[in-house]
Amino acid sequence: MIELRSISKSFPGVKSLDDVSFAARAGEVHALLGENGAGKSTLIKIMAGAYRPDSGTISFDGQERTWATPREAKAAGIHVIYQELMLFPDLSVAENIFVGNEPRTPWGAVDFRAMAEKSAELLGRLGHQLDPHAPIKDLSVADRQMVEICKAMAGEIKLLILDEPTAVISGREADLLFERMRTLREAGVCLVYISHRLDEIFRVSDRVTVLKDGRVAGTQDTSAMTRDSLVAMMVGRKLADIYPEKPKVVRDAKPVLSVRKIRMPPRVADASFELRPGEILGLAGLVGSGRSELAHAIFGSMHRESGEVRLAGVPHDEPTPRRSIDKGLGFLTEDRKGEGLMMLLDTAANVTAPALQEFVRHGTLDRSLEINAAAEEIARFRIAVPSPTTGVSGLSGGNQQKILFGRWARTCKTALILDEPTRGVDVGAKVEIYRIIRQLADGGVGILVISSDLPEVIGLCSRVLVMREGRVSGELEGADLTEESIMRLATQATIPRDLRKAG
Amino acid sequence: MRTAGPRRFRISEPAILVLAGIIVAMIVFGALASDRFASVKNATNVLEQAAPLGFAALGQMLVVVSGGIDLSIGAIVAVSSVLLAGTVNGSGTLMMPMLVAVLSLGAAIGALNGVITLRTGVHPLIVTLGMSSILNGLVLLYTLQPVGKAPVWFEEFAFGRILGMPMAGVVMLGASALVALFLRYHPSGRSIYALGGNREAARLSGIPIDRTTILAYAASGFLAALAGAYFVSRTGVGDPRVGDMMTLASITPVVVGGAVLGGGRGRVLGTLLGVLMVSLLNNLLNYLSVSTFYQWVIQGLIIIAAVAIFVDRSKRL
Amino acid sequence: MTLNSGTIQPRPVFDVLRRYQMMVLLASLVVAATILQPSFLAPRNIRDVLTQAAPLGMLVLGQTLVILVSGLDLSVASLMATVAVLATAFNATSDAMIPVIFLVAVAFSAVVGLINGLLVTKRNVSPFLATLAMMTVLQGVRFAYTQGAPAGSLPAGFRWLGTGSVLGLPVNLLAFLLIFAVLSFILHKTVYGRMIYMTGGNPRSAELVGVSSATVTIACYVICSSLAGIGGLFLVGFVGTVDNWVGRGYELDSIVAAVIGGVALSGGSGTLAGATLGTLILVVLFNITIILGFPIQAQLVIKGVIVILAAALFARANEKRT
Repeated sequence: MIELRSISKSFPGVKSLDDVSFAARAGEVHALLGENGAGKSTLIKIMAGAYRPDSGTISFDGQERTWATPREAKAAGIHVIYQELMLFPDLSVAENIFVGNEPRTPWGAVDFRAMAEKSAELLGRLGHQLDPHAPIKDLSVADRQMVEICKAMAGEIKLLILDEPTAVISGREADLLFERMRTLREAGVCLVYISHRLDEIFRVSDRVTVLKDGRVAGTQDTSAMTRDSLVAMMVGRKLADIYPEKPKVVRDAKPVLSVRKIRMPPRVADASFELRPGEILGLAGLVGSGRSELAHAIFGSMHRESGEVRLAGVPHDEPTPRRSIDKGLGFLTEDRKGEGLMMLLDTAANVTAPALQEFVRHGTLDRSLEINAAAEEIARFRIAVPSPTTGVSGLSGGNQQKILFGRWARTCKTALILDEPTRGVDVGAKVEIYRIIRQLADGGVGILVISSDLPEVIGLCSRVLVMREGRVSGELEGADLTEESIMRLATQATIPRDLRKAG
Repeated sequence: MRTAGPRRFRISEPAILVLAGIIVAMIVFGALASDRFASVKNATNVLEQAAPLGFAALGQMLVVVSGGIDLSIGAIVAVSSVLLAGTVNGSGTLMMPMLVAVLSLGAAIGALNGVITLRTGVHPLIVTLGMSSILNGLVLLYTLQPVGKAPVWFEEFAFGRILGMPMAGVVMLGASALVALFLRYHPSGRSIYALGGNREAARLSGIPIDRTTILAYAASGFLAALAGAYFVSRTGVGDPRVGDMMTLASITPVVVGGAVLGGGRGRVLGTLLGVLMVSLLNNLLNYLSVSTFYQWVIQGLIIIAAVAIFVDRSKRL
Repeated sequence: MTLNSGTIQPRPVFDVLRRYQMMVLLASLVVAATILQPSFLAPRNIRDVLTQAAPLGMLVLGQTLVILVSGLDLSVASLMATVAVLATAFNATSDAMIPVIFLVAVAFSAVVGLINGLLVTKRNVSPFLATLAMMTVLQGVRFAYTQGAPAGSLPAGFRWLGTGSVLGLPVNLLAFLLIFAVLSFILHKTVYGRMIYMTGGNPRSAELVGVSSATVTIACYVICSSLAGIGGLFLVGFVGTVDNWVGRGYELDSIVAAVIGGVALSGGSGTLAGATLGTLILVVLFNITIILGFPIQAQLVIKGVIVILAAALFARANEKRT
């Protein structure tokens, strides 16, 4: 269906794609794997007509084509569903589906009635009920994704590209998505699916292409691959070595973080747990179950209504981020660019950010102390920056995440909360990050890992809590720690007390 | 205007309800406070006064919905007014052609604003601010005093009556209706909402960003020029200072009417009610013999109240 | 001196060029002025130019702080005039009253800044609208108070503050340099300055490392307004009379100067030194128009052109940066 031959594309300072050849057929799901920075997004944008390649050819549906604008690509039947959903919050579902493409009355005016009818029809085809008149801003992420899919189906669709759609949905919603994809595939549509999640790749794709540093590392039938061989193609290492050994936790040690009956409407209803020193505790659950909000409530960046938090036994009331940090609690949020890094500042400033007072000498901020501290972390976590004064905005996701680890490793001596620590990070950097997490745990810090990546949660954590609708619905460890048991706890009602696993 | 379906009238903007309420309250209060207030004569008066503000606010609204802002409106009003009166200088035959020319110039200046912000990537705030300074400078270099003369019959625009209603007011309402229909039913109108709502999504959806932006700013320039023409009609001369307060004045009704400075939202009805409220307020305060100075204070407080009360969590300018 | 946040590593050739671009521009303007009027470089004239520029310079420093935290303050000029009017309300003739007047002026200005800051941070009002509204309110208040015609008097000492010299240097210039030194120190050498850059660049990220974005932002607005008040008093001293329009147009000038000086409107990037260079460039340009005999309105045109050009240049440079 689509074939790219010898595509190259450069931007000022960086060669994004280097002689890449990629082909996807009609009626197949072709997975595209690769680091952020390997060139996936550039490749997608070229296919979608948002960028023009510097060299190479594209043929689509048998013909050699070039597109001047995304509109042309759309007209040809190519649709992309980006990770950051491209929707208009104040417009309705129907308006979003037909944006740029509205049905017209004979006079040329926009025909709202036809728009609503057609939207309802498309939604029906997907088996998804939504009010065509509802504004997008009132919808959940999963619903918004459905709107994006309808958008793709509104015209004639031949090629659908999905960019990490399950980064923001999970569980049942992801299943629904895969169903839709299957439907489209059977209808002869070509699907290109980008994800970091290996289990998904194996579940939905027919073929896999791995991009590495702007080049194609290989293309294979999925059925011919195993997890190990796939990981090997990406990173040169066996899967079993991805996760470090789980730390041994002293059961009766005094908890570094104990949380009791936290309540913070609308998302957190009643959450309680304990985190022990040196433990890597997982917090799993569906998107929207309240995990991030719970973290914010504990850290003090959101205001909780009631409940108790104790850090190393000391009550932590009226928390603010400042007080939490001073007491040795850290929080690595899920949105590193919007809620983590200072994009305009350099590495050193980012590393020292929570603890600036440490670097004050005679009333002034001592830059050389800062730089030294940053250099220490750079070495310790093997962050790939030329110097501590390099800006953070141009770095890869993995490196940026490591900088954040460098930041928190310095200040949190008690406990560290990680929210989706490896989101948007390539497998190579993931492995290093897991090692870092283990390192920190060995230092006596208690680590709470919030993650929607089940294999990650199972591989990394010694004990896993599952949250459902604002409550901790269960706790799993050892042999009981499986994907099915997590999913069961994440989607069913709270297991009755007597059936709950003993701590 | 964002509902799909002309028959379903969703009150999308709480601001509209609030505005309507305030207007009604003002009318009641005014009627009680002064007999002359609640008269047909006064009502037509208000409509007359509202016309220039209406034109300016309509233009501002288009730009704001598209995600930008136009701070050059006052300057364009001044330029149009001076140019029109100055070149016509009493000649009856020149009037209409010059009117067309001046309106086109307004649109052209607006389009230039759009082009500059598109090509250079500079924020519309700075571009239109700079343009405003340039235009004001040019106008004042041309003349410091009111200048020129309009033929007497041009008065009709400001003072004439259609079916008992002031001509300018009717034109303003007509323009509002046109803009409203355009925004709702014309694909380019929908594009303006898309552009303001999510620029990147608009680009990837194939919306012509350049054309849409230029359209919004050109329309604003055109409407500002129309306001300038109105002032010429009313005073008979071109006054370089006539636009001084217009830029800021054009923002209040837009913001109060529910449009958000980030773009993507807003209804003509809201802006119109905003215009009505401001005009009514000025009128009312005049009747109560409140000095212009206090009117300024009140205007400022209104803006603060409007935006502070409806805490806006969306993107801001 | 860098033209962007002091902690960004300058990329070799390009940035060095840009750092000196401003100074080169200023130098060429001064050269041009001198060619047109040889007496331009005479100490007396330089002193006059700097004396006139000092109040604007103070304003620009404050505006820069606000822009650094992604804000804007359109009320500064109106505040200047209001403070001037407020000062005359004392009807004081004794110089001993001057400190009192300053104190009251700064207190008043600080409150105005506090309101601006609260509106922007606690009610999420756009800084543009909030300060625009404040500008209008202040205008109404001072016109209502003076009924359009300011009366009252100021102690003669203000004249000295505005035009006098100490050891050959104009008093208001010294005041400006003092303020500049203190603020620069705070901005580039202290934790508080770093917090300003953090808040401006990524307010949410700053919150999550324990920086109170709201407090930092409000502080910037308070400082900006206070400087506007102080600047207003010095300006009145320089001009010699008080009317309702003291400092008219200065809000635009201060934004233009900051933009020319490389302060990014989006926040988090820019320096006081850069902004001051911008002020000087603007002032010299104005002087050139006067030397050339252009009417004062020509300055408006120049202001407009130059702000668009400067912003365009920086926009392109910043594109390449990321």
